[in-house]
Amino acid sequence: MRFTRRSVLQGFALAASLPAMGHSSHAQVAGMVRRAIPSSGEEIPAIGLGTWITFNVGDDPVLQDECAAVMAAFFEGGGRMIDSSPMYGSSQPTIGYGLKKLGYPDRLFAAEKVWISDPASGAEQIEASRAYWGVQKFDLMQVHNLVSWEDHLPMLFEMKAKAQLRYVGITTSEGRRHREIESVMASEPIDFVQVTYNILDREAEERILPLAQEKGIAVIVNRPFRQGSLIRQLDDEPLPEWIAETGARSWAQFLLKFIVSHPAITCAIPATTRVDHVRENLEAGGGVLPDETMRRRMVDYVEAL
Amino acid sequence: MSEWWTYTPADFLMFSPRVYVRLIERYNQDFWPLQPVFQAGMLAIMVLAVREVRFAKVALLPAFAVAWAFCGWQFLWLRYATISWGATYAATAFFLQAALLALLSFDPHHRFAASRSRRYGGMLLALYGVVVHPLLGLLSTRSLAAAETFGMMPDPTAITTLGTVLTIGGQRFLLLLPVPLLWCAFSGVTLLAMEDRGAVVPLASIAFVAALLATHDRPRAMPGNR
Repeated sequence: MRFTRRSVLQGFALAASLPAMGHSSHAQVAGMVRRAIPSSGEEIPAIGLGTWITFNVGDDPVLQDECAAVMAAFFEGGGRMIDSSPMYGSSQPTIGYGLKKLGYPDRLFAAEKVWISDPASGAEQIEASRAYWGVQKFDLMQVHNLVSWEDHLPMLFEMKAKAQLRYVGITTSEGRRHREIESVMASEPIDFVQVTYNILDREAEERILPLAQEKGIAVIVNRPFRQGSLIRQLDDEPLPEWIAETGARSWAQFLLKFIVSHPAITCAIPATTRVDHVRENLEAGGGVLPDETMRRRMVDYVEAL
Repeated sequence: MSEWWTYTPADFLMFSPRVYVRLIERYNQDFWPLQPVFQAGMLAIMVLAVREVRFAKVALLPAFAVAWAFCGWQFLWLRYATISWGATYAATAFFLQAALLALLSFDPHHRFAASRSRRYGGMLLALYGVVVHPLLGLLSTRSLAAAETFGMMPDPTAITTLGTVLTIGGQRFLLLLPVPLLWCAFSGVTLLAMEDRGAVVPLASIAFVAALLATHDRPRAMPGNR
């Protein structure tokens, strides 16, 4: 058997995730759960911050300050990964405003996307995004919704080789183009894949997540609450008493614990405009994560509602 | 776009209703009291034009051109585009409409000669756009600070234009319908995605215009048409 840096790191990452796959419900306790990025071994907190819609506030100073407060609470609570895209309107300048106000926290794990069909304009767009954020470089650059991925990926790998970014990834959402995602995962040396996964949208469990584990690819989960509609749908329903064992006190925490308890998941990125919500989300990454038996029970419970 | 059938209007909504309403409030604040000036000015021109006052008839289309250009520039281009990149395309369409209005204002055949139903239906729609539409937000949770008024905001500007164009005779003036109709469709779908009950207004306006265009009653001879 040939050992490479990647395979050794994958081994460590798998070992780190094994307790969550076991039957003990006390697999991961205390503090924010951290997951290793298989290609490097670097650990990041399992709860990140998305910015779709929530950070698109234009130049409204009141709303910009609200977003900065959310970012402050996120970093204070131990969060690291903030994810955005040129597609998200003014989200990038809003992040830049917040980062500047907070003095560019060292904790930041900056995840961005390239989203442009013209391959020649990819580098220019990345530079514009970097200027909006006000960071020196991005940690992760993803090809958004696979737009021109055949052309963008080689450029991103080249940037990674020049240390202009640290990780390369691809994204999709709402279960679209999973076959193509699988094909890229199987054939390209990407570090991250971003997909939609939540208690009702579990298509990724069938092939994407096992493939990510097999290939040593970190997984970011978008739309953990189906853009908030899952929580609105469940809000009138009683939280099951047995979930208290995990420390979940709300539906948001119930849903996030379900997601990050899957061993293939590296980071979920719920989006919010509220400080109390970001704190609640971060808490879901602590305490006890559900084991496989409880995960099945959670699915059955929600599907029966 | 692949798998286009899996997308819904909500997938394209990039901002929250709160952000949109605050955008309008701040915009209104920036220009107050231009809103009542626009409304009163347009209402006066429309009433005088109906009464065949020459100056008002001449000023009608240029006034609309100013409204479309102002709304496209100040709201769509400078403000709405900060939260919705699609607004820049809409702004371009608004500038095109302003140019069309300016161009057709030189048309010597510009007169009221539409059929009776088009004439009165159009007037009703135009009156709604200028006078009633700003109050629409009160039916939802919006305050008057977020009122959408003619010349400032796209919906009442488009609706008032549709109504007015219907009252004008001559096939070439139908060139002024596509942009406001397209805007009403876009706005209706956006408001639907925002779960705003006001969505019914731009969509109903399209249906109203279609119904009036399909009506074929006898044109009424107007004094200025002889």
